[in-house]
Amino acid sequence: MFDITGKRFKFFLISGLIILAGIVSLLTFGLKSGIEFSSGSILTVTFEGEVSNAQVKQEITSLGYANVIVQSTGKGEFLVRTHELSGEEKTSIEDALTRKFGVLSETEFYSVSPIVAAETAQNAVIAVVVATIGILLYVTWAFRRMPKPFHYGTCAIIALVHDALVALGVFSILGGILNWQVNLMFITGILAVIGYSVNNTVVIFDRIRENLKMGASADFETVVNNSLVETLGRSINTSLTTLIVVLALLLFVGASIQNFVVVLIIGIIAGTFSSVCIAPTLLVVWDKGEWGRFIRWFPLPRAKA
Amino acid sequence: MLRKNTVVLILLLMLFGFALWAILPLDGQRFGREGLRLGLDLVGGVHLVYEVDYPEDATAEDKATNIDRAINTIMNRIDKYGVTEPIIQQMGADRILIQLPGFTDIDVAKSLVEQTGFLEFREVELNSEGKPVYLSDYLESAENKFIDAKEKGNRIFVGENGNPIVFLSLKDGTLHFMDAEGKPIDKETLKGEAAQAISWIPARGDTDTQLTGLFLSEAVSDIQQGATGTEAQVDITWNQEGAELFDQIAKRLYNSAVYGSPQRALGIFLDDRLISDPQILEPAYHGKAVITGNFTVQKAVELANLLNSGALPMPLKKPPLYQEKVSAILGANFIDKSAMAGVIGIILVMLFMIAYYRIPGLLASLSLIFYGALVLAIFKLWPVTLTLAGLGGFILSIGMAVDANVLIFERMKEEFRTGRTLGAAIEAGFNRAWSGIRDSNVTTFIVCAILYWLGSSIVASAPVMGFALTLFIGVAVSMFTAIVATRMLLRLFVGSNLAKKTSLFSVDQGKK
Repeated sequence: MFDITGKRFKFFLISGLIILAGIVSLLTFGLKSGIEFSSGSILTVTFEGEVSNAQVKQEITSLGYANVIVQSTGKGEFLVRTHELSGEEKTSIEDALTRKFGVLSETEFYSVSPIVAAETAQNAVIAVVVATIGILLYVTWAFRRMPKPFHYGTCAIIALVHDALVALGVFSILGGILNWQVNLMFITGILAVIGYSVNNTVVIFDRIRENLKMGASADFETVVNNSLVETLGRSINTSLTTLIVVLALLLFVGASIQNFVVVLIIGIIAGTFSSVCIAPTLLVVWDKGEWGRFIRWFPLPRAKA
Repeated sequence: MLRKNTVVLILLLMLFGFALWAILPLDGQRFGREGLRLGLDLVGGVHLVYEVDYPEDATAEDKATNIDRAINTIMNRIDKYGVTEPIIQQMGADRILIQLPGFTDIDVAKSLVEQTGFLEFREVELNSEGKPVYLSDYLESAENKFIDAKEKGNRIFVGENGNPIVFLSLKDGTLHFMDAEGKPIDKETLKGEAAQAISWIPARGDTDTQLTGLFLSEAVSDIQQGATGTEAQVDITWNQEGAELFDQIAKRLYNSAVYGSPQRALGIFLDDRLISDPQILEPAYHGKAVITGNFTVQKAVELANLLNSGALPMPLKKPPLYQEKVSAILGANFIDKSAMAGVIGIILVMLFMIAYYRIPGLLASLSLIFYGALVLAIFKLWPVTLTLAGLGGFILSIGMAVDANVLIFERMKEEFRTGRTLGAAIEAGFNRAWSGIRDSNVTTFIVCAILYWLGSSIVASAPVMGFALTLFIGVAVSMFTAIVATRMLLRLFVGSNLAKKTSLFSVDQGKK
């Protein structure tokens, strides 16, 4: 029989380190916000002739767009990000590029006004907060017949915040390296991860609930550990099947929802880890009143394992 | 028990047959639905959100009627372009959402929507001697009143290309000079070329009613053989009141001066821009009129469409709050790729399930096929707008769909190990796994509902709404197929001979 709960402080240490790395990255790279949250325009153009990134950038800068960001996204294809463009400004940019580099086709155009960007950012925050509270309430309610139902809700939320933090951190590292930006789909990915992670946690809690009811053991830690081991097969298999399809999504659909899919992948892995190793073991910590160990910080697991 | 199971089997087979009939072929017509409804990111298209510009004194009631009228007007304009299933709807109190799948020319789309389309007729202002009034007359005069004091409406002065350069209005006893954006202009800056612009006042019939597009009954684009080759024009038919007004004005102008003098011109203004100023050639036109003005054929068609759909009750603020244009080239690829991802995903999951759970895995795979058909049928018949992210939600739900099965099978194995018969283990597995399946999926539903709200709240983001909706449908259907279909198949199977080989259930391995 695996002893999962006994290794709880090792798990906390692993998670802590990953999240710490993420936070360091968040502080150094930050998160780059897409135009959905910060307003602006993105114009994707494809040239028939050979043009370099620097040439495009220079031409647009010379038109007075000092802050333009030009990214090369494919053969002869460039993504041009500026402040919010009016119809005339867009036409003048395209005309100038055509005069300089020959025929171009406009494949995509996005433009978000500051009003909409501010509202979107605000609603994204509301969505995350409401989702978190909603889940806390639901989990507490679902385990209302248990002693201390609030513990279950809170531990599920901690696991969920853990997954969101890991996803944010990894995304910030990728943002720093690959220039990925946070957009509405990223928030969608985070919320999907939250839902998925809680889903796993609840299944395990459900088993704890059942085993406690049957009175299998008087020791809470043993009950939790047994429940974890019993559901381990399911936890791993479900994550595997989900990972399989998400990988298929990444490999075959690729580019345009890449960020979203990567958030899902990170989230699924983190979510599985937190549902098994964090949320239930935190129940044990809480039950035993071991919170003090976090404050004194690890004099690493004392012979517990 | 067995008989009840047979009933379930027959019902499920019927449902499966129905789902297959609905989705095969995918682009076949069923209940008036042809094919799946694809979002902008898959078929390309334009997505716009506008804020309307109500007058400051508009009441809530006015706003509600006007925004409805504006939406109808925009719909009429777009109708002519054969866009399949355009979405034009109100968002919040003062926004209009426009989605045009398959229509990728964002500039045409914007001009189609943005143009107020206000058609009015004007004539030249005359001074007391019956001579035309020019901007210079106003600039030189120190008096704060209109030269033709009878006419209280604003004056428009246009430049060479017909665009308005100055609006002159009389308010609180003072003359106000304003530019096209409504900003005040200093009189001094207007001296020079602009001073030669003629003053246009509203053309009114004998009863003081101004002739506008409101009196139009129909506008048709037309090609005429002119002196300089073919010329596109727009033929107008007035309604009865309009015909009378027009003839009253035509008669007055016809008698005012000789052919060729500015007094005899009728100014045709669209959204304050002079599109042409033909000379009146007859004293009466009997309900017909023609607008010419160096149009291309396409412009004439657009103008006729604009005039027929009527004017927007109020202008829209420019640029739009949100604009998005995706070309169809991008989309074509994605549909195939997503289909491939879906098929490969399903196959891999099936292989995994069969390898790990043997017979139950195989049965779960059968339910998965059932699941796929059912979900696609719902997508098609609802219809759900499928976007790339929506397909992602669907594919993700495949992974999650087997979750209920996994939960049940793991449970079954445990029950079997405790010494129950296979049949009893199956029943116990289902019953015991149910609370976990239910509670865990509710959290996903909560997230889907919030996501849907987030997506629809500001710009009706199709990807976010699509993802939330497909994931929701996917998870809901997966609960149904796992609880009903897989269970039915397992029960059927228990009755057969194969059930004696417990190794096929991967439950003889003892401890895993």
